[in-house]
Amino acid sequence: MHFFSQSFHYDHSWAHVNVGLGFKYPNPYCTHVTTVDVLDRSIDPNTGIIRTEKVLGCKQKAPIWIVKILGGSEDAFVREVSFVDPKTQRTSIHSENLSLSQYITCIERIHYTPAPSNMAERTLFSQTAEIQTRMAIWRSVADKMESWMTERFGQNAELGREGFEGVLRNLWDRKDSPTMGSS
Amino acid sequence: MAHSLAAKCTPLKQSYDSCFNTWFETYLKPLPSTATQSEREEWTKGKTKEYEEKCGKVWEAYRDCVSKAVKDKGLEQMLDEARGENPLVDVGSVDEER
Repeated sequence: MHFFSQSFHYDHSWAHVNVGLGFKYPNPYCTHVTTVDVLDRSIDPNTGIIRTEKVLGCKQKAPIWIVKILGGSEDAFVREVSFVDPKTQRTSIHSENLSLSQYITCIERIHYTPAPSNMAERTLFSQTAEIQTRMAIWRSVADKMESWMTERFGQNAELGREGFEGVLRNLWDRKDSPTMGSS
Repeated sequence: MAHSLAAKCTPLKQSYDSCFNTWFETYLKPLPSTATQSEREEWTKGKTKEYEEKCGKVWEAYRDCVSKAVKDKGLEQMLDEARGENPLVDVGSVDEER
């Protein structure tokens, strides 16, 4: 099992970050995500929490040896379930790979909450991922595969951050500029 | 806006996404911290009704299209297995995993 985790801030309010998530793809930094579909969405009448289930399609650039062993195709699909709680201002997102999940699982958890340092204007992003091979294979091969996935995960996460910051700037700096100036 | 996994669903997806995004922005406006539970529930009820009125029709059309596409692409079984393993029906299930 390999782990990945990171956390950082976005200089936008929690509400702006959440609205921005709807515009996250496509962006030039995350070309590996090609399709996004909502499969299910509901609003809890008691808590107001919105639950959304999505399926994301990605072009994966796996090393040839992984493709050869697993017989994977170029398209990979991810299931994502998110919960947005407007009362506590907490967003929780779970993602897992659907493709090749009989061999390897990658579970990612993301939380967005108002940053304690500036609840109104900053958002804390925290992300963890667990990557684990499922099959009984030589440990050295399993280990190599997990560490490749973990490395890719780190690279994609960094691109995700850069891309999403650009999306948020485009969305809100433009919208806010008439009243608030460029911030 | 991103495409749908089936090209024929993309126009419906994009109409639905625009509808949802517009509504969602209004939904996230914070209520006063003094709001009582019943005031919150009343507000949620009103916003849910508004969402259904504004986006309900296009959502149904898009959902029909995409659920067929999920079958055509052979994703249904993988999704069912994932749902069986991690139903994720409430927010607690994402936090408990940690």
